[in-house]
Amino acid sequence: MSARSDLRLALPLALVFLVLFVAPLGMLLTLSLRGADGGIGLAQYVKFLGDFFSLGVLGGTLWLGVKVTLLCLLLGYPLAWLYVRAPAWARGPMMLAILLPLLTSVVVRTFAWIVILGRQGIINETLIGLGLTATPLKLLYTDAGLVVALAQVQMPLMVLPLVTALFRVDPNLADASAILGAGAWRGFWRVQLPLTLPGIIAGCLLTYAGAITAFITQSLVGGGQMLFMPGYLYQQASTLQDWPFAAAISVIFLVAVLAVVSVFNTLGRLSRGYAQD
Amino acid sequence: MQLNRRSLLTTALTLGAMRAFPGLSYAQARPLVFATFTGSWEEAHKAVLVPAFRKATNNAAIVLDPMLSVDQIAKINAAKASPPIDVMLHDPGPALVAIGQDLAAPYPVDKSAHYKDLIPVAQEAMGPAPFFQVVGLTYNPETVKTPPTSWADLWNPAFKGRVGITNLNSTLGTGFLVEIARMHGGSEKDVSAGFAAFDKLKPNLAAVAANPGALATLFQQGQIDISPGNFNAIQILKARGVPVEFVAPKEGAIAFKTTIHIVKNAPNAELAFKLIEAALSPDVQTELMNSPYLIVPTNAKVKMAGEIAKVLASSHADMQKKFVFQDWATINQQRAAWIERFNREIKL
Repeated sequence: MSARSDLRLALPLALVFLVLFVAPLGMLLTLSLRGADGGIGLAQYVKFLGDFFSLGVLGGTLWLGVKVTLLCLLLGYPLAWLYVRAPAWARGPMMLAILLPLLTSVVVRTFAWIVILGRQGIINETLIGLGLTATPLKLLYTDAGLVVALAQVQMPLMVLPLVTALFRVDPNLADASAILGAGAWRGFWRVQLPLTLPGIIAGCLLTYAGAITAFITQSLVGGGQMLFMPGYLYQQASTLQDWPFAAAISVIFLVAVLAVVSVFNTLGRLSRGYAQD
Repeated sequence: MQLNRRSLLTTALTLGAMRAFPGLSYAQARPLVFATFTGSWEEAHKAVLVPAFRKATNNAAIVLDPMLSVDQIAKINAAKASPPIDVMLHDPGPALVAIGQDLAAPYPVDKSAHYKDLIPVAQEAMGPAPFFQVVGLTYNPETVKTPPTSWADLWNPAFKGRVGITNLNSTLGTGFLVEIARMHGGSEKDVSAGFAAFDKLKPNLAAVAANPGALATLFQQGQIDISPGNFNAIQILKARGVPVEFVAPKEGAIAFKTTIHIVKNAPNAELAFKLIEAALSPDVQTELMNSPYLIVPTNAKVKMAGEIAKVLASSHADMQKKFVFQDWATINQQRAAWIERFNREIKL
């Protein structure tokens, strides 16, 4: 098959993208340029970027993503490691456990976290039962609670690429490094980790994008006084019907996320080179 | 006709398209589309209002398409000339927005059999109010032994870290702010007194929920013991065994009109009128007043009974005295600024 007919095969999808993705994006951009007085200009962007509150919301959202991603990586890497080294019979149930969060609706998962983190939830009941605290701790509607809930919700997106990356690492390499005198830690840092970097970066990218846009979990576990970009957008577009400002918020959010993604991508490209060396 | 692969495929695609886009096949005569609210509203309307409408129209086709007010406005705005919705339902704030954007047709008051029977506040020419929503105090009777009597009780130091409120995205949150401002000498024009009071409420605040529905979850989880709450929502929770009670504060429960409108240029305007007539009729309103719906009626011919008579008001005259109505035309002018201010100031 020639390269030309290959391109033609991609045509239907390209058309769908053009109509359903590029066109609305263009409309969004146009809308964001409409000022409060109806004129065309950058007034909405000035309003957002010149306001410490709005910038704080943007910064808070991006920072939330970093925290969730780090936690996912910290918990996900050992899990993926265990999975790859588990005997064949254990892998089925393990994969089910890893995928389970993806198989239930995000609303259900989020409600489960409300039950876990609540004042009469599992954590508080256990702590009180053990006599570690007399009054229930406030876990729901806190930053820490939100990070943990989001990390669980996004975990499969981290673990799956890691599993793929770990499977690609030749187990002989670990033996080789051991024979050459590297301890377990040194073998991990110098051999295993660099070789799985592409998986780590892919996982981080997916979790990060998932965490910062998780409107439902953010609003249900974070509460109404913690404002992140998706909630801010919803408020302006839906409650206040200020579509131009909401459009500007979307565009700014999109650009900010793209910037983060391109950093990840650059790291990914570098790491691929690193992994092959 | 020759049956070959191509003609079969074409037929299959056409049939598929007709199923996927039913609008194509009956663009001329689609059923009446009524955009009610989700949840208990939809249940109540499906069970009571729709059968009454069918009876009145000899089984005319009707579809309930539940969605939020703001979504109704967006959908109609996107196709003003041929709106996909015939009848819309709104809280007071969005109702004024919809009317302001010229989305509602005037209600044919002269033709209506029931309009004149509505209590005066419910008579709105651009869309009458068939129901009220009532906001008062909600509390957990297992932990709050002396029932609260006033909004001021939320500030009681005994409720340190036990109070829940919602942000201003909802009608409930905004209405609550206005009421608290009024208590402290403010008004719909100036709610700074309300914000000052919110600031003093902070030590007591356990949660600022993102929407009124989340407050219900917080009660269930024992996260909060007291909050402003919607009468209907509380009755539903109570029926499901959650320990919650509703009490109308002595300052008066806040009443929101839920108005129902014929959409401008609606293809089924005549049926839309009939549906609204059914919603205004004493029969439907009486049935909706009873358990389990407990929706406050606006037709003066309906005699208050049951839980509503016990907890809220024994008659419409009593109700007019006990309920507080707010001026949403004024509220809407500044709501955006209040939401901004709430975003900035209410941090826990």
